[in-house]
Amino acid sequence: MGSTADKHVIQGEHVTLPVRIRDAAVASAMFAVPAAPARAVIAYAGLEVAEPLPGRAICSLAFVRYADGDLGPYHEFAVAFLVRRPGAPPTRRMKGVGAFIHWLPVNQEFTLEAGRTIWGFPKELADIPMDLSGRVKRCAVRIGGRTVIELAVRPGLPLPSGTGAPKIDAYSCMDGVTRRTGWTMAPSGVRMRPGGATLRLGDHPVAAELRGLGLDRARALSSTAVRHLTMEFDAAEEVGP
Amino acid sequence: MTREVRTALVTGAAGGLGALAAQRLAAAAWDVVAVDLDAAGLARTAARSPNLHTRVCDVTDPAAVERVAAEAGPVQRVVHAAAISPLGAALEQPLADVERVLRVDYLGTVHVARATMPGMLDRGRGELILFSSLAAWVPGYLTAAYASAKAAVNAFAEALYQETAGRGVTIRCVCPRQVDTPMYRRIAAEHPAATGGMQGMPPGLVLDAVDRSLARPAADLFVFPDRLTRTTVTAKRLLPAATRRVIGLRTAPPDGRADRSP
Repeated sequence: MGSTADKHVIQGEHVTLPVRIRDAAVASAMFAVPAAPARAVIAYAGLEVAEPLPGRAICSLAFVRYADGDLGPYHEFAVAFLVRRPGAPPTRRMKGVGAFIHWLPVNQEFTLEAGRTIWGFPKELADIPMDLSGRVKRCAVRIGGRTVIELAVRPGLPLPSGTGAPKIDAYSCMDGVTRRTGWTMAPSGVRMRPGGATLRLGDHPVAAELRGLGLDRARALSSTAVRHLTMEFDAAEEVGP
Repeated sequence: MTREVRTALVTGAAGGLGALAAQRLAAAAWDVVAVDLDAAGLARTAARSPNLHTRVCDVTDPAAVERVAAEAGPVQRVVHAAAISPLGAALEQPLADVERVLRVDYLGTVHVARATMPGMLDRGRGELILFSSLAAWVPGYLTAAYASAKAAVNAFAEALYQETAGRGVTIRCVCPRQVDTPMYRRIAAEHPAATGGMQGMPPGLVLDAVDRSLARPAADLFVFPDRLTRTTVTAKRLLPAATRRVIGLRTAPPDGRADRSP
């Protein structure tokens, strides 16, 4: 570990690691995108996209409502890519694959500062209206009154509880430093389906990147909604070049 | 940011449904005034949430409720979740307890509505969400005081709706079955028979049902948050005697007249 303390002061409050989220709800969609432009989008982090199919990378879009947790209540939108563990050889196997968080707008100041300071997560402030109460889950991200992205996730079939990824590595890159964060999840009330996502992109740079990956025309591989999720985020560790 | 900040007033916000309602609204960037008697619980609800403001206030005190509402300014949504539910036999529960339940659950509702409705009616918009209970529709053993107070809330909501319909304020009277909150878990542990061994429904599902209900016509006053709640209310309407008997059997003490093995 070494470089990162497990205690931080954020806006006068002591935040102790691991950070615990006691109640969150999520909707997400995964897309298969061409690997070459995806590689270019995340090149700044020095990480390699995972290619579960030759020439295809996986981009994941998710929106999250944090109701009860150590970073306070807030809404978040995430753009992530599945990446190989640094130094791991190219393989089709998904074992050891992590999630590189490319963009992570949030709508509250406390989590903005905590996320950037503690883990180097690429958080920025946005308006993130969200409706998770209906069968179709909807979210939009707006910055300066302009819509960056809108995502709707249609209902799937219930999965037995206990399924899903219990622990994965989240990667982030801020100011040229790439970090890895242990991220544990315990979902319940999970519904999943093939396809099921509707996406609309605005004119923000990130929207342009996603359009460059063909996301405005793509059918989702799968869509997932999680009614109740608890999570833990460990301290971040720097990943060597 | 050019967004319009909306204000919500949430009572009973130190725990359970009220706390989750306050946190969800805060997450959605509302300005939230969270009200409860329990200052420590309020502080937990509001931790690391600068847009969640806490006010210690007893809803049985009309002047105190009036003050909190005045300080909150123009509110768009009122979520009134403050309530107590001590159980006791109809002929034996201490009168002081009966009176307390009526003061908190029924008069508290009257005070909150009187402090907030006039402003919302003046502005021609707003949402008043009152928490009642399935017990108001199907009282069981030991719920005489609680079910009576919640039935009074139902009647109050209906009369208020009649008097204010068409003026832009949506009223919802939410009647869930048992909800998995710290309060319910305490009561279920104390009175396993009277609560029928029922596991409470997750509070998040109750709040989802409330959110969905706001898209329905104003006249859709009552919210029954899950299928079991809806089925029970329908059964009570269509088959009152049979439903009463089933509820009696399910909530009777093991040594009671409606004998049921534990």
